[in-house]
Amino acid sequence: MRPRWRKVFLDLFENKTRMLLVVFSIAVGVFSIGVIAGAYVIIENDMSASYAANQPANIELRTADFDRDFLATLENAPDIAEVEGRRVFNIRARPLQSQVWTTLNLVAVDDFENNTVNLLTSLQGASEPAKREALLERKVLDELSAAVGDDLVFQLSDGSTQVLRVAGIVQDPTTGADDFLAPPIVYVTMDTLPYLSQPEAFNRIYATVETGENDDAHIRLTAADLADRMERGGGVDVYRTRIALKNEHPLAPTVNAVLGILMALGILIVFLSSSLIANTLAALLNQHLRHIGVMKLVGGRDNQIFAMYLALILAFGVLALLLAVPFGGIGAYQLSLYIADQLGFTLLGYRIVPFSFVIQMAVGIFVPLFAGFVPVINGSRITVLDALSGDLAHETATRDAAGRRRESVFERLENWFDELLLRRGIHLPRPLLISLRNTFRRQNRLLLTLFTLTMGGAIFIAVFNVRTTLFDYMDNVGRYFVADVTLDFDKPYRLSEVERLARQEPGVVDVEGWAFAAVEVLYPDGTLAENLTVLAPPAGSEMISPDPVAGRWVQAGDTRSIAITEGILRSFPNLKPGDYLDVKIAGNEERWQVVGFFKFIDREGLIAYGTYEYFSRETNLANRSVSFRVLTDQHAEPYQRAMSEKLDKRFRDAGFQVSQARPGLSALDNATESLDILVIFLLIMAMLTAVVGAMGLTGTMGMNVLERTREIGIMRAIGAVDAEIMRMVIVEGMVIGGISWLLGLLLSVPFTYLLSYIVSLAVFETPITVVFTPLGYLIWLALVIVLSALASIIPARNAARLTIREVLAYE
Amino acid sequence: MALQPISPNPNPALIELKDVVKTYSSEAGDFTALKGIHLQVQPGEFLGIVGKSGAGKSTLLNMITGVDRLTSGEVRIRASGQEVSVHSLSENDLALWRGRSMGVVYQSFQLLPMLTLLENIILPMDLCGLYHPRESRRRALQLLEMVEIAEHAHKLPAYISGGQQQRVAIARALANDPPILVADEPTGSLDSVTADHIFDVFESLVQKGKTIVMVTHDMGLMPRFSRHLLLTDGEISPPPASLSSASPRPKK
Ligand SMILES: Nc1ncnc2c1ncn2[C@@H]1O[C@H](COP(=O)(O)OP(=O)(O)O)[C@@H](O)[C@H]1O
Ligand SMILES: [Mg+2]
Repeated sequence: MRPRWRKVFLDLFENKTRMLLVVFSIAVGVFSIGVIAGAYVIIENDMSASYAANQPANIELRTADFDRDFLATLENAPDIAEVEGRRVFNIRARPLQSQVWTTLNLVAVDDFENNTVNLLTSLQGASEPAKREALLERKVLDELSAAVGDDLVFQLSDGSTQVLRVAGIVQDPTTGADDFLAPPIVYVTMDTLPYLSQPEAFNRIYATVETGENDDAHIRLTAADLADRMERGGGVDVYRTRIALKNEHPLAPTVNAVLGILMALGILIVFLSSSLIANTLAALLNQHLRHIGVMKLVGGRDNQIFAMYLALILAFGVLALLLAVPFGGIGAYQLSLYIADQLGFTLLGYRIVPFSFVIQMAVGIFVPLFAGFVPVINGSRITVLDALSGDLAHETATRDAAGRRRESVFERLENWFDELLLRRGIHLPRPLLISLRNTFRRQNRLLLTLFTLTMGGAIFIAVFNVRTTLFDYMDNVGRYFVADVTLDFDKPYRLSEVERLARQEPGVVDVEGWAFAAVEVLYPDGTLAENLTVLAPPAGSEMISPDPVAGRWVQAGDTRSIAITEGILRSFPNLKPGDYLDVKIAGNEERWQVVGFFKFIDREGLIAYGTYEYFSRETNLANRSVSFRVLTDQHAEPYQRAMSEKLDKRFRDAGFQVSQARPGLSALDNATESLDILVIFLLIMAMLTAVVGAMGLTGTMGMNVLERTREIGIMRAIGAVDAEIMRMVIVEGMVIGGISWLLGLLLSVPFTYLLSYIVSLAVFETPITVVFTPLGYLIWLALVIVLSALASIIPARNAARLTIREVLAYE
Repeated sequence: MALQPISPNPNPALIELKDVVKTYSSEAGDFTALKGIHLQVQPGEFLGIVGKSGAGKSTLLNMITGVDRLTSGEVRIRASGQEVSVHSLSENDLALWRGRSMGVVYQSFQLLPMLTLLENIILPMDLCGLYHPRESRRRALQLLEMVEIAEHAHKLPAYISGGQQQRVAIARALANDPPILVADEPTGSLDSVTADHIFDVFESLVQKGKTIVMVTHDMGLMPRFSRHLLLTDGEISPPPASLSSASPRPKK
């Protein structure tokens, strides 16, 4: 090898700690970018591919009951390719040996063999159930334990039970793909329905379109036409219309948005690691000035020196890539697997994503080159004289026109601080003063280190704030779930009747019957804009504590008035309180006034609140209801659960057709769970930024100590003991950590707003109110103290270990 | 030390300094270290520049090598068939020119610590590109043999003595076979016996036709140069005698 390249090679390994720090910090950035970019590509492709492969329905209609003959009339509807009828309803089930009920969606399919829409993929056992058998969607297994051949107990609305045998496990990537919080699904044949006291009739339409299966507007029109045929042509009410594109998974935008956020954090990590690289290279070139001088003396030119150090940077990059790329590829696939599992779709198989590979290569090579460019160009341009005389203290000193050294901002700050303390008669201990002075000596290095650590900290703190913000929002949503038990029946009952029976249960404080309406909000041209569920508690209900963000809440005396979630602004961006919406309720078009807006998590359409007094008459259920809310004397989850069971039993025993009794907040459990997952990912990214920040500090402390070897020797020669020298170095690290914490305190505020905004848009489709928590600040304070102590301990021990002789021989 | 009788060319000087002034500016004010130096060095000379510490000897050498910029005046060097005005070259051209035309030896050896002795000697050839890599290696071994440390070729500088390091530094200075060798107190940090050996090496090089300019504060070495100048406070003294005479007087 030529001597100059051999020098590059030897320089690479000259200082192992330095090499590891640089390589790891590049690797962490490359790894996170690789994981996220890879997962992004895999999911972007497989999520929609696996979805499209199962022939997702473009149109889903929830309707009143209809039969096969009527379904046949729809087959020739314009532009309908395939149409299937199914029956879908809620049911509770448990394994034979368990007492815990799980709410499931039961789907009755007419013909499993000739199934053409929302196809099932058989995973285990039979792909078709026989009479009195069931297929389980694999998500059921997350809720209860069952295997092929096991029996499951189903509870009917009259309280009696039926046992169905599990014939197989299937995967259904399409049904309910837009709502991964929906109950898991069990499939049976139509002729099993009588055993479950259900009529052998359909109440769902699943259809695909002939043309334009990825054209939103076209599907919308076709759906409207189909719904029209059902209502006008067959007198079958359509309660709800949902449309979907064939080649885009309904959750793809959300998943992409979340991955986008993680990606942004990944890019930030790369950015931070680049400041560590810049620092390290600046220090390395400083140490190498004499070498550069010698090479120039014997004929080396700028571009040769430049090339040598670029090669060194490239070598760092390549080492980092060797480390990060394989793990990045594996990580990308694991992350994709996890997301696929959560959302119920399958991946097309393990693979290396070329795009992510290219991105990692580019990041691993160009970011270090970019970060190292300035120090290397400065280093290679230095004159022989400057290089050989090796007086490098220039860095902190700016010079005025006459070439005199000027005080740096930091020095002035420090002097001012010293004087301030002196005037108050405070004498800082000598070693502490030396530490402080050292901290400010290398201005550029300090700034870069502070930058890295501060960004890491700010992100860390912001993630905690975002977490609190998200959960605060969920709490707010909880305002609409004040009731402890939700009691749903399969048919309407008189309010007084239900209330009397419920109050016989000890612990019950109050009972309300709520009216309920499923309506469609229409655009002015009559096409479907949004599905809307109207919940109508009695005016002034104690079971919700509404918090309108604009306008007012509904009140006694309101007719045809609703308070609606902000989600409506998606379709009607200019809607204001007092404006009107066209809606279709049970086949009739009406015009309702919006009196106010509130914030809510919109799932499967939007939510609005009206008054029971009006909507019970509108739905012909005056003084009756199918859905009741019960307030109990305690509100803890386990108590709510117990009360649900008791009420369930009491009503079934009394001959009521109970659909289900649920603890009040259970509807939010799943949502909270999925938020937790998001927060964990954010925290992982925050930890990575913190780690990179800490590596930056370790690097800085190492460089500071190395460059101060002579000074440490002199301190030693005049009697400083090990402990003093160590303390000096550690205090310096902690001062930097402390300053970065203070700066992070400030920077975390805009970060919190930004991150909350992006996350809430991705998850809730609406910006939410930011809430701050001291938790992140405190944890980061503790962490930064520990990290900066750790970051200085190794350099400090090295410093203390140096003997006077070594130090004075140091060059 | 026979003088190479001069070619018919009326101005054949290898190195020529005209009214070279060097002023350092610092916080303490301006300081003129060289106060108008005139100097000519003929091919084959072994010129000693002698003076006390702080007289400006290193400054003068830096002007010749182009390592530092002068304040006014000119340095012209006619080597390898070309004539250059050292201080009109760009930093890069200067480096390449110096690498090929001038070997520099410092008191502190200035070897690269991570490279073996052999590699240290190959380095200038590697950087200047005058020799094929295989040829470079052969030359480097030859040079090591010449300075009598071929057996240590693959050691690192830290594992040999100071005198040996200085021999390697001299071998490195000769790597590109430059006509001129410049040395700043090359024996300054060596004991007297070792210093003597190093001096012998320089003398043998002069015999092989190299032109050498050496700086020293050791007055005792004066007799051994083919010519010497006394530098005092940035001025050559006695000025008139040596300035006009192009012919060096061997002093023994
Ligand atoms: N970079 C510099 N800045 C200011 N003064 C300098 C600098 N280098 C040398 N000097 C001064 O110039 C004078 C000559 O220095 P130098 O040439 O190194 O002397 P010598 O080599 O003869 O001992 C000395 O007084 C020295 O202090
Ligand atoms: Mg000197």
